[in-house]
Amino acid sequence: MSLRQIARDVGAWLDHRLGLSGPIIEAAEHPVPRSSASWWYVFGSAAFAVMVLQFITGLCLATVYAPSADRAWQSLLYLNYDQPLGWFIRAMHGWGSNFMIGLVCIHMAQVFLFGAYKYPRELTWVAGVVLLLATLGMAFTGQVLRFDQDAYWGLGIGAAIAGRTPFIGGRVVKMILGGPIIAGETLSRFFTLHVFVIPGLLIAFVGLHLFLVLRLGINEWPMPGRLVKRDTYLAQYHELVSKDGEPFFPFAAQKDLVFIGLIIAALVVTAAVMGPIGPNGEPDPAIIETVPRPDFFFLWLFSVFALLPPWTETFLMLTGPVAAIGLLFLVPFISGTGEKSYRRRPVSVMILVLSFMTIGILIYLGTYSPWSPHMEAWSSVPTPVDYVSGRTPLELQGAVLIQAKQCRNCHALGGQGGMRGPALDRTATRLTPDQIVRQIVQGGGNMPAYGRNLTPAEVNAIVAFLATMHPAHQPPARLAARPQRPEQTDASP
Amino acid sequence: MRMRRIGAAAVLALVFVAACDGLPGKPKESDRPLSPWQVKSFTVLFSGNCAGCHGAGGRFGAAYELANPTFQALVDDAALTGIVSQGMAGTAMPPFAHKYGGFLTDAQIGILVDGMRRRWRVGAAPPNAPPLAGGGGDPARGAQVFARSCAPCHGADGEGSPKAPGSIVDPSYLTLVSDDAIRTLIVAGRTDLGHPDWRGYPPGQPLSAQQVADVVAWMAAKRPRFVPGSYARNP
Ligand code: HEC
Ligand code: HEC
Ligand code: HEC
Repeated sequence: MSLRQIARDVGAWLDHRLGLSGPIIEAAEHPVPRSSASWWYVFGSAAFAVMVLQFITGLCLATVYAPSADRAWQSLLYLNYDQPLGWFIRAMHGWGSNFMIGLVCIHMAQVFLFGAYKYPRELTWVAGVVLLLATLGMAFTGQVLRFDQDAYWGLGIGAAIAGRTPFIGGRVVKMILGGPIIAGETLSRFFTLHVFVIPGLLIAFVGLHLFLVLRLGINEWPMPGRLVKRDTYLAQYHELVSKDGEPFFPFAAQKDLVFIGLIIAALVVTAAVMGPIGPNGEPDPAIIETVPRPDFFFLWLFSVFALLPPWTETFLMLTGPVAAIGLLFLVPFISGTGEKSYRRRPVSVMILVLSFMTIGILIYLGTYSPWSPHMEAWSSVPTPVDYVSGRTPLELQGAVLIQAKQCRNCHALGGQGGMRGPALDRTATRLTPDQIVRQIVQGGGNMPAYGRNLTPAEVNAIVAFLATMHPAHQPPARLAARPQRPEQTDASP
Repeated sequence: MRMRRIGAAAVLALVFVAACDGLPGKPKESDRPLSPWQVKSFTVLFSGNCAGCHGAGGRFGAAYELANPTFQALVDDAALTGIVSQGMAGTAMPPFAHKYGGFLTDAQIGILVDGMRRRWRVGAAPPNAPPLAGGGGDPARGAQVFARSCAPCHGADGEGSPKAPGSIVDPSYLTLVSDDAIRTLIVAGRTDLGHPDWRGYPPGQPLSAQQVADVVAWMAAKRPRFVPGSYARNP
């Protein structure tokens, strides 16, 4: 008996008892509108495929990962450096997560543009929003499991948001972190979430989502002018698929399969070339000179919190996410009928483009986070050589003090250094020495006041140096019409 | 037929796995994240902790040229270790040892000192060089040394000249710089910024230890007790 014959017999034996082949074939061959077998409709199935891949690579990782605070980080290093191909599985899982988020977002954008969430597919959309949240939840908890310095960011900000809930804030934080601070219990909780709770949710809602897709049929290609009405739509759709339908398999599925293949190939290449994501430095509270930063899908939140004026934070942290998620859920109920084609829905298209642009810009800002001081600049970024040669002894002392007093962590010279404050290369064209003194002594505009932390000699040296910060062809700033004002500061003796 | 196909797949898989060692994404041993106190490379330690003030490669920094071979020939390990560990009180040179509030371990300071010696010391200490440490100079005699050896570049009263712009007797400057740093500059010079060493005031008339001490004392005597702030100076 050949192998193929054995397989066929086993299959028949099982089917005789389970009786599943009928429904499966029926589902596979359910008719879909000819117009929907388009390359636009492949993102959902690709997201699904990547999710399955995530389950597989995740399973592999879970066999090695140690969810305890003192060993988690070490076990990732073991995977990266000692376990053969461990790095590759980590890379597949880490990049797979990014791919999945990307695909889910594109899929949602396509559904939104094509009006596919309209009657009768509202519940499909709602299940989809739950899937988006679950995917982001997986990404977030996964980042925490990495338990490196960046993981602290995610947790810190999560705890900060939760902690501001009125009345129950403290308890919520304790529930998330398993205590008032980030510790071993925190990791156990996130491990449970990442490995049991959210995957369970994902499976359940993917099931519901697919069931609804099969039951209600795949959305037809939107035609401008063909309006969705509650009482006629179902009959119209039925007529469409019976007249101009094709079986899902293989007619539409072949594009899905090709795209899935491409995506997986892209994922393998990305993983092989880019390698695993982190872990970066050990999460040690004793290491203070780091600026933890979230993975890219939360970078935009990082930017929002960094850029917002502090007084808006509590309000926005509490209402922002609730409002945004609520709006997403409500989309099909706000515009559940009517025009489907994006050509006739300019407002929807604008909303989509604006949201993507905003998030894109925030992510870009987050990657380069000009608002975070560059904590090591003072001791590691030299004064540009041009600013050293030909300077007087006092000016050189000023240049040293710009380093020693960590001004460089916020201020760039010659394009290097922090970017929290303006670059100082042309300061003398904007400020007179007196104004520089005032800025240093009194601070202001997000710069700390150095008044009591600098001796008069130090101020003199810094000002002497900064007064040279103008291009040779551009004279330093002078007070034009005003007389020297006798403005005294707190710091003056 | 089938066996051959399975064999081919196995070979392919093997090639793939073997190639993985060469894949660009595979983390290299040098990518391994290190705690700051595990760093053992001189280059990393120097460029992370010293280059900001002393310049990349120890030259052309705002603070002293550590790569100066004359300086490295004259200074000894103990002095270097002491300076790097404890900093120089009253100046911008910070302490780096843990026990003085810095971020480096004693082993790392050892690596820094050793690395600086190995890289930048060329040859043995020149004979008759004045020591880098010392004291007990006489300001009045120092004034004569200054007039002969330094004034050609720094001007009769130290207020500067086109050859060496800016005052070396500015009250604020003198408050910020230590006698040790002045002595180091006079004895070892700065090759990057063109400062002569003890053999060059002028060439052929090397300064003696006593003369160095005297001129340092002359400068130290000009250091004011109190520097008024410029922001208090405007009435
Ligand atoms: C925490 C970051 C931070 C540090 C540290 C810091 N600054 Fe600033 N600085 C700023 C910011 C922000 C501004 C812009 C203030 C404003 O917009 O009014 C600024 C402005 C200035 C300006 C005016 C620049 C111009 O061209 O308008 C000067 C001069 C200056 N800082 C000097 C210093 C000096 C000297 C030090 C060290 C003693 C220092 N800063 C340390 C953040 C910083
Ligand atoms: C914030 C600026 C700054 C940093 C960073 C710094 N130094 Fe210094 N260093 C100085 C200054 C300023 C002096 C001169 C002090 C004085 O006036 O006596 C100095 C002096 C020294 C001297 C003595 C030179 C002499 O004049 O005899 C040594 C040696 C030295 N530094 C080594 C180091 C090493 C090694 C590091 C890195 C671990 C380092 N420094 C980092 C500012 C710095
Ligand atoms: C060949 C000319 C020349 C002679 C001679 C000379 N200097 Fe200088 N000196 C310079 C130049 C150029 C600088 C500025 C560059 C620098 O800081 O090294 C300078 C800078 C200095 C500084 C400031 C260093 C700092 O901290 O930035 C001191 C102090 C100094 N000289 C002392 C002396 C003394 C004391 C003598 C005599 C023993 C002397 N110099 C002789 C050229 C000279």
